[in-house]
Amino acid sequence: MASGVGEQAHGSVASQFYSNEEETAFDMTTSEKVVELLNQAALISTEEKLIVLKQVQELIINKDPSLLDNFLDEIIAFQTDKSIEVRKFVIGFIEEACKRDNELLLRLIANLNMLMRDESVNVVKKAILTLTQLYKVALQVSLSVSDMQEACWDMMTQIKEDVLALLDSDNDGVRTHAIKFTESLIITLSPRTPDSDTPKKQEGDISLDKIPKDHTYIRYDTLCEEGKSALEQLLKFMVHPAISSINLTTALGSLATLARQRPMFMSEVVQAYETLHANLPPTLAKSQVSSVRKNLKLHLVSVLKHPSSVDFQGQISTLLLDLGMSQSEITRCTPATVQPRKRLHHESNALFVLADAPLAEDDEDKEEPAPVVTPKPSSSVGTQSAIDLTAEFLLPLLTPDNVANLVLISMVYLPEVMPASFQATYTPVESAGTDAQIKHLARLMATQMTGAGLGPGLELCKARDEEVKEEDGGAGESSSKDPLIIRKLSAVSLGQAISVVGAPAAYKSPITEEAPQIKKLPEPILPTSQPKAPGASGRKKVFKLADVVQPFSEAQIEKLSNMAIKRILLSEKVIAQSGMSHVRVKLLARLVTQFEGGKKNDLLQFILEDMRGRSELAFSLLYHEYNEYLSQQPSGSLDSYEHCLYTLLSGLQEKPEQRDGLFTKLVLEAPVITDSALEVIQRYCEDESRVYLGMSTLKELILKRPSRQYQYLNVLLNLSSHEKEKVRSTALSFIKRMYEKEHLKDCIEKFALTYMQFLVHPNPPSLLFGAGEDTEVASPWTEETVRQCLYLYLSLLPLNHRLVHELAAVYTEAIADIKRSVLRVIEQPIRGMGMSSPDLLLLVENCPKGAETLVTRCLHILTDKVPPSPELVERVRDLYHKRVPDVRFLIPVINGLEKNEVIQALPKLIKLNPIVVKEVFNRLLGTQHSNTCLFSSLAEFTTNLCFGEKNVYTSEVLAVVMQQLMEQTPLPILLMRTVIQSLTMYPRLAGFVMNILARLILKQVWKYPKVWEGFVKCCQRTKPQSYNVLLQLPPPQLASVFERCPEMREPLLQHVHSFTPHQQAHIPASIMAVLEANSRKPEPEPQPELHHPEIIEEREVF
Amino acid sequence: MPAHPLRVAVVCSSNQNRSMEAHNILSKRGFDVRSFGTGTHVKLPGPAPDKPNIYDFKTTYEQMYNDLVRKDKELYTQNGILHMLDRNKRIKTQPERFQSCKEQFDLVITCEERVYDQVLEDLNSREQETFQPVHVINVDIQDNHEEATLGAFLICELCQCIQHTDDMENEMDELLQEFEEKSHRPFLHTVCFY
Repeated sequence: MASGVGEQAHGSVASQFYSNEEETAFDMTTSEKVVELLNQAALISTEEKLIVLKQVQELIINKDPSLLDNFLDEIIAFQTDKSIEVRKFVIGFIEEACKRDNELLLRLIANLNMLMRDESVNVVKKAILTLTQLYKVALQVSLSVSDMQEACWDMMTQIKEDVLALLDSDNDGVRTHAIKFTESLIITLSPRTPDSDTPKKQEGDISLDKIPKDHTYIRYDTLCEEGKSALEQLLKFMVHPAISSINLTTALGSLATLARQRPMFMSEVVQAYETLHANLPPTLAKSQVSSVRKNLKLHLVSVLKHPSSVDFQGQISTLLLDLGMSQSEITRCTPATVQPRKRLHHESNALFVLADAPLAEDDEDKEEPAPVVTPKPSSSVGTQSAIDLTAEFLLPLLTPDNVANLVLISMVYLPEVMPASFQATYTPVESAGTDAQIKHLARLMATQMTGAGLGPGLELCKARDEEVKEEDGGAGESSSKDPLIIRKLSAVSLGQAISVVGAPAAYKSPITEEAPQIKKLPEPILPTSQPKAPGASGRKKVFKLADVVQPFSEAQIEKLSNMAIKRILLSEKVIAQSGMSHVRVKLLARLVTQFEGGKKNDLLQFILEDMRGRSELAFSLLYHEYNEYLSQQPSGSLDSYEHCLYTLLSGLQEKPEQRDGLFTKLVLEAPVITDSALEVIQRYCEDESRVYLGMSTLKELILKRPSRQYQYLNVLLNLSSHEKEKVRSTALSFIKRMYEKEHLKDCIEKFALTYMQFLVHPNPPSLLFGAGEDTEVASPWTEETVRQCLYLYLSLLPLNHRLVHELAAVYTEAIADIKRSVLRVIEQPIRGMGMSSPDLLLLVENCPKGAETLVTRCLHILTDKVPPSPELVERVRDLYHKRVPDVRFLIPVINGLEKNEVIQALPKLIKLNPIVVKEVFNRLLGTQHSNTCLFSSLAEFTTNLCFGEKNVYTSEVLAVVMQQLMEQTPLPILLMRTVIQSLTMYPRLAGFVMNILARLILKQVWKYPKVWEGFVKCCQRTKPQSYNVLLQLPPPQLASVFERCPEMREPLLQHVHSFTPHQQAHIPASIMAVLEANSRKPEPEPQPELHHPEIIEEREVF
Repeated sequence: MPAHPLRVAVVCSSNQNRSMEAHNILSKRGFDVRSFGTGTHVKLPGPAPDKPNIYDFKTTYEQMYNDLVRKDKELYTQNGILHMLDRNKRIKTQPERFQSCKEQFDLVITCEERVYDQVLEDLNSREQETFQPVHVINVDIQDNHEEATLGAFLICELCQCIQHTDDMENEMDELLQEFEEKSHRPFLHTVCFY
């Protein structure tokens, strides 16, 4: 019967109608009826057409399938009908027809392919639904029908890819259908195992385990890979941050189905649930969160009920507890048979298994007769372990302290508004602090960390996977060994975990090929932003932006704006080439001025990287900041401007090679120099390598910014007592130049005097001690501190002599230590003033009480190198006679005094201490008065006056006098007289006199007859000490001595004979000749006193 | 507008008050609607809160009506039960249990969360065949006459809006959000598959 109909020729409905009119009643009736109905259908309205077509379908599929082939084309022709419903009907018809006769798919697949691309989403959805059913049929057909064309399968494979791609569709419903297709596809492309929970009606469905491995074009491996890839896509789809609530619900359900029907995926499914639970999409509204959680709970329970959930019961119950299910309910849903296999036990096993893969297979394969791939690829165990390992690693670290710190740190990242997902899911932690809860927390964190690609577990697993890959070599399945990890990484790269983990924004997915995938994901998954066909909608909806967009979190806003600014920053060169730099500069300055903190610092840092090149930007920013301040008057704060200026200036200081002009420019062009900026300038001044730059800038400021010039001047003045010599001297030289300016003069002077006034205090004021110096405030004055108070004053003194009186005033009040220091430091300036200075003369004239030493010191300084001027002598004389009769005043000017004055003063002078006296003589002898006249008066003074005053005129003074006289050239006539007289008064000067005599020999004393006479006399009086001196005379002079005093020869000869032979050898023969000249006869009798050791000693000394 | 009318199911606990009120209004507005209960029994208020009248789903409204008239006509007239049963029996003969119905719907609206959970549990426990999606939406309605009426209007408005959408699945999310805002009550929403 069927064959008879089947042989009928194809033709138009009408021709069949007429040609078959006479056939058997049964055939006639059905066929006729079909033809009639089809004829009607072409003419009537859509609704009736559908009814008619459904009748036809009933007739040719159920009532008489033999007609199916005949009328196929006629029905399919309706696929181009205007009505969506009719087209959907055609799809439904195709499904039914193919189910009835699988081989029809061969002919209908192309039509299905076409309908899959229909313009109506409803048709597309229907097509996907049908494909969900027909994919299995196609696979079945390809296997069972040998002549099934490979092209048909290829097309089905292509269509499958197309449907998978629809996971990224813009339409929510299409995506929902695509998810269901994916679910079904995964089930078909994975092996059914004994623990598979297969619905009765699908018992006969084909699945991977029924695929032979030797088929010509159906490749087992390929299908297996396709299945895994589909699962990957589904998992990836699920973690998209903007997934719609319905898609998510659908996917959750699909995962549950997968877990039950293919328990080998249990691990991935539970993992996905865990991840989802911890990272609910931020786009979900509150009620959607509730719905999703409800679904999650429902599906978790259904997964838990499956016997294969045994390894995951811990995780599932934890999740269920979190979702608000009670422990007793959970226990009720847990399959009873699984108690003996403890999860922990398995975990430790898994770890062991990791290191030894064959064992794992051994364990799993026991119940699996089918020749299939290991249902739990090591990768899934590996990922399982990544989280487990990280959790174990974290567990001991979760101490109360650490946790408290974590909480504190994360506070910063919390969003302003509590997200709906959190609000909905938050349940107070009842078991806080218990071991179980800490374990749970560790696990939650490990999930997040693994998701973010962090943690020891992941590293370990990665390393392991690589090993496995190497071992596997080119095996087909190695490519997608670890879909879960890949998925998790991509989840992060999609930004899914951001809200929880914090800020892994910069995280880059190591799997580069994921990148385009991310881009392909449609952004309008957000339910509200989907495009609508304009005008087609029955009810118009008012577009509300607030519905469409989710406000960014503060951190996101911050990040995005930072990135935007960074882009403008980095586009420097490009913009410069386009000649629009000024716009960029202005834009940056404006933008950044309006933000706080980070961006400003970024920009400043950017400027400082190349201050020269970006100075324009720097100035622009500075001006904008100032403008901002001005615009907020009167309440505005300069802080921001100050920060900007300060950072720029300090930044410049830190750059060693920076050209200096920029610093000066910045300071001088800044609208306001703030205190902190002034500090930077000061730092410049204190930096020895930049002191000049710093101070000249400061000088410019002082001169060109009159409004605050005193403040700037003060900085400079303070530096004048700086501890660093270079800083101080530079400051002083700048101040001296500024001192010339009338309007600054007072200020500088006041400062100098204030400092000097410090000297009257018992202790140095604390401001003298620079920061960092550890001196206590009550420390005594030191040379250094005294100097510090005087540097400025002393450098001003030569410029303004009047100031000298202030010094005198301070001096009289100061303590002795300070006085001494003052006396030491005034030399230079006083000399600089010169003795013609009226003020100095006035000082001498007035000589305040207590300042005598100061005045004396001044006089000494003035007259040190040059003779005193008559004016000076006049003042001193005046002072001496009228007010302070201290003879010491006269000393500096002594060689300016009249002869009689000197002689008058001499007695008093001689009473002073020997050093002073020596000074007096030095002065007297060293100046223009050194004539015989004075010498005679001196000699007179020596012999008559001084020698009489034996009690005051000490031997030391005499020694000095002798020394002085001896050094004169020519030798003074009265020299020897003074020597002999001194020797008479102080015999202990004998040694000194011997010295004098020996030196006189060097000066050829014999050339001065008078002195020579005295010399010989002196030798005579001082024998035997003088013997050694005599022996130093040249032979003629020695002979001359003997001529004058013949009685000297014999003792001298005796003396020489008393020498050791060695000593005697030193006596020249010529001398010996003179000694032995007249009497040849030797004097054997030794002179005991000549052997006195002293003599030997003295000789050696000499 | 889709060619075929939306197939709607309204579900409450006993298929008496809330689901029937909505059924009434929806069918008047031309929807292809059915109503169900999810409870194991049909419960009606009794003389005291702890003494409800319990029937099974095979009992017709007519029988219940007669039973209550017999028990205490005044009480059940006063509390509106008789009036409700009278209305019900004019819509259909007896309450139906959702779990027993194998017909496929486009939209299932439940009237309280517990019912929603039961519907979900039932739909998910069924074996999937066609993968035809069904949207389940919960609208919380208190179990009294006034709330039932208000709730029925809300459900009706919701259904009309959904019916008018171009692409129901694509616009459902947005639509529900709008309704939530307007009615100030949260809607649970999910999708299941036949």
